Amino acid sequence: MKTLKALLTIIFFSEIIMTNINCAKGPEVEVTELYQPGSPLIAFRVELKAGSVNDPSGKEGLDALTALTIGEGGTKELTYQQVLDKLYPWAASITPQADKEVTMFIGEVHIDHLEEYYKIFTDLLFNPRFDEADFTRNKDLLVSQLENTLRGTDDENLGKETLNVFMYENHPYSATEVGTVQGLKSITLDDVKNYYKQVYTRDNIKIGIAGGYPKSFIDRIKKDFDKLPSGILNEVKLPEPAQINNLEIMFVEKPARGTAISMGFPLSITRKDKDFYALMLVNSYLGEHRTFNGVLMNRLRGDRGLNYGDYSYIEHWVQEGGSTFQLPNTPRHQQYFSIWIRPVEPEKAHFAIRNALYELNRLVEKGLTEEQFESTRKYLINYSKLWVQTSSRRLGYQMDSEFYGTEFFIDKIEKELDVLKLADVNNVIKKYLNAANLKIAVICSDAMSLQEAMFNNAPSPIKYSSPVSQNILDEDKIIEIFPLQINKEKSRIVPVKELFEK
Amino acid sequence: MTTFFHMTSRLTGVLLLSFVSLLFMKINGNAQESDIFPYQINQVTLENGLKIVSIPFPSPGIIAYYTVVRTGSRNEIEPGLSGFAHFFEHMMFRGTEKYSEEKFHQVLKEMGADNNAFTGNDVTGYHTLASSASLETIMDMESDRFMNLKYSVEDFKTEAGSILGEYNKNYSSPFMIMEEKLCDAAFEKHTYKHTTMGFIKDIMDMPNRYEYSLRFFDRWYRPENCVVVVVGDFDQTKLIELAKKYYLDWKAGNYALQVPEEPPQKEEKVVNMTWESKTLPMVAIGYHGAAFSATEIDMPTLDVISQLVFSETSPLYNKLVVDKQWVELLQGGEEDSRDPALFTIWARIKDIKNMDPVKNEIYSALEEIKNNPVSQEKLLMIKSFLKYSFAMSLDNADAVASTISHYAQLTGDPESVNKVYALYDKVTPDDIMSVAKKYFIKENRTVVNLVEEGSK
Repeated sequence: MKTLKALLTIIFFSEIIMTNINCAKGPEVEVTELYQPGSPLIAFRVELKAGSVNDPSGKEGLDALTALTIGEGGTKELTYQQVLDKLYPWAASITPQADKEVTMFIGEVHIDHLEEYYKIFTDLLFNPRFDEADFTRNKDLLVSQLENTLRGTDDENLGKETLNVFMYENHPYSATEVGTVQGLKSITLDDVKNYYKQVYTRDNIKIGIAGGYPKSFIDRIKKDFDKLPSGILNEVKLPEPAQINNLEIMFVEKPARGTAISMGFPLSITRKDKDFYALMLVNSYLGEHRTFNGVLMNRLRGDRGLNYGDYSYIEHWVQEGGSTFQLPNTPRHQQYFSIWIRPVEPEKAHFAIRNALYELNRLVEKGLTEEQFESTRKYLINYSKLWVQTSSRRLGYQMDSEFYGTEFFIDKIEKELDVLKLADVNNVIKKYLNAANLKIAVICSDAMSLQEAMFNNAPSPIKYSSPVSQNILDEDKIIEIFPLQINKEKSRIVPVKELFEK
Repeated sequence: MTTFFHMTSRLTGVLLLSFVSLLFMKINGNAQESDIFPYQINQVTLENGLKIVSIPFPSPGIIAYYTVVRTGSRNEIEPGLSGFAHFFEHMMFRGTEKYSEEKFHQVLKEMGADNNAFTGNDVTGYHTLASSASLETIMDMESDRFMNLKYSVEDFKTEAGSILGEYNKNYSSPFMIMEEKLCDAAFEKHTYKHTTMGFIKDIMDMPNRYEYSLRFFDRWYRPENCVVVVVGDFDQTKLIELAKKYYLDWKAGNYALQVPEEPPQKEEKVVNMTWESKTLPMVAIGYHGAAFSATEIDMPTLDVISQLVFSETSPLYNKLVVDKQWVELLQGGEEDSRDPALFTIWARIKDIKNMDPVKNEIYSALEEIKNNPVSQEKLLMIKSFLKYSFAMSLDNADAVASTISHYAQLTGDPESVNKVYALYDKVTPDDIMSVAKKYFIKENRTVVNLVEEGSK
């Protein structure tokens, strides 16, 4: 089956913090193995323990651009075009992927070509060409992703990224994953070379491999990567994100057919915490990604036809390609809760925000029933088994588990959920969720009118194109005046051209 | 109902084995040595015409279950009703007497299943990934909704709202709106004139089309127009028993589709558009192409040309993206389709002043292959790429089911996959020159230019 190559996928990053190097020689380079004898597919995931949090101030985007210049560049021996020519007949790939705290080089090859492929993969990492033309091409690409793609042609991701930068103002997470426009523009090829020298060390790299590789291959990988220079990055301190008081709203003004909405707040827990798994169950009940299980999906789309979908998350969550599953290897030490309301008709935006917060509030006040708890628990234990269907994805999940210092995530879910009780779940709802203090990103074409309506807590009745049940209409009467306590001082309208600028 | 709740610890341990798919090796059964598809394909046609395609695959405890309706936006022949195949895909989740919408989702939830649907030009597909133990329940629910779907006028109208939401979501991207304009301009009569989403005026009118929706269901959701594809860990005898139990009451239909034939395009068409938000200039160039065929060489040759001229290893890519750096994104090709669709070339251009030079470079590259035979070495590289990319994609049950469903919907015969890959192997330098001369002519193309509003 042939499909056109996916149109550019955005990989995102962020900013700040000087990179300091400790030159002490560390232990042997780490390798995560997933050996599957007989499997002809070999998957590689090389993790650099650095991300946009390591970008120097004023050079936001340096980590992402360095990864791209390496992964989408040449080696000392081969130009970029020659690398592409080599990989092409094998249908092999090497893809950089960058996030806040880790940067990945992900690849897959048939065992027929393992030797030659490995040579190119490692040459890209050990002996990058750093060609000026490759650097320029990749830099233009990242700047354009912010200036054009995100600001002009992708309102849903614009909403999500706006929420991220809004939630983490004055925090190492505060830029997008590819930095800022001004940061990127200020980066030189020498900056990239210096960053590479400082950060791409044997101590900062971890290798993941899966498939039916020869067992002797592991020793070779260790020896090869051990030749990289030493150098340990100083840990970037992540301060507590600023406290959110009432609803703080960023209205992003741009031409838009629909109004895209994302809302959320930072969480103090991650996969390493026991409570995460109880909250995971709650979140699945509220808004499991791309399913009809969630309350939000059923109330906003199912009952009212407001939009195409409504979901919630308790960690940074990127969908892998066209699947419904999470992209591995974007782990973070600080996570956040969010609700994603896909574009609604502008005149229904105020109602949709109220509806989502009304449901969140109801969850916080009432919790789950025993039946809701049991059915969601059963679902999640089973559903999570589907997340690791391919060896590459399983390897990615394993490496993420190591990042968080836990056993394999999918096993951990089952183990934790098996012993959960309804009371645990309802306790974490009270402990971590609230419907009063959130940041909200709204992408809309008439920000002033919406802001005024929201500031005034004006009623927001909606009209249906067809009769809906009396129950819904009765509930609408409550939702349309559901009070929203908005922090006017912290809310603002931002022209889209100012976003992600610096 | 049985679920795989109790099987989970086993699953965790054994899922790994599912990757041992021994690509390029034949796994027993009827797979031939020359076939690209390495697994046995079982086909059983029930008395009512429903075809059950099943493929044993090493995914212990897991099955992928696809039902493809060989109906997509191509079937939307009546004016004012574009987008209806897609709309109907949404309606299929609105329940039956036996499984109400709520119960349907509740049962899927109990299974821990991944479940969704999609619509394209030629197909509407419904798919579930779940435990093998859920097979009978899935067949019960799927056969039930395909036979006994029932929804109220109110549900129908409410769902129309989510379609509009989907349209709004999609149309913050210029790709979608350019594709809409390209198809509309390029086609005069054929239903590929509209996209799968449909024209916005028709979407706005959808709430008023309840009666038509009943006719649509009656017309297309019939066993002879559908194929069930099951891939993974299942018992073949049991599967066929269950298929007879749950699907035999489904009555065959008799509607004969007459899709208007597209007359040859006589002159180049150009559409100029502006985009209100920030964007780089973009161009979409569509040439009327060839229908999918497992016997004729044109479509496989166009696929080879797609690689030869527009892949990352092509001279054009090297020139425009790597060397001159005029272009940020370049791709070109034709989706597999039952009737001739468009071979579409996309370019996102960094500077508006290079829009014409980029188009001229694209046209020159297409002229080049008309008159100069490609080297055998290059052709072998392309064939190698096609073979390895296909084989490497078959790494899980869902991917295999999706692939086989694709070929089953195109021709009704999943073995088309082996036939078409055999054809790729036969493409010669002469085929490339003759196919390029046949399709890549000025009179056969439509160009959509898009620039940011106010840009010069």
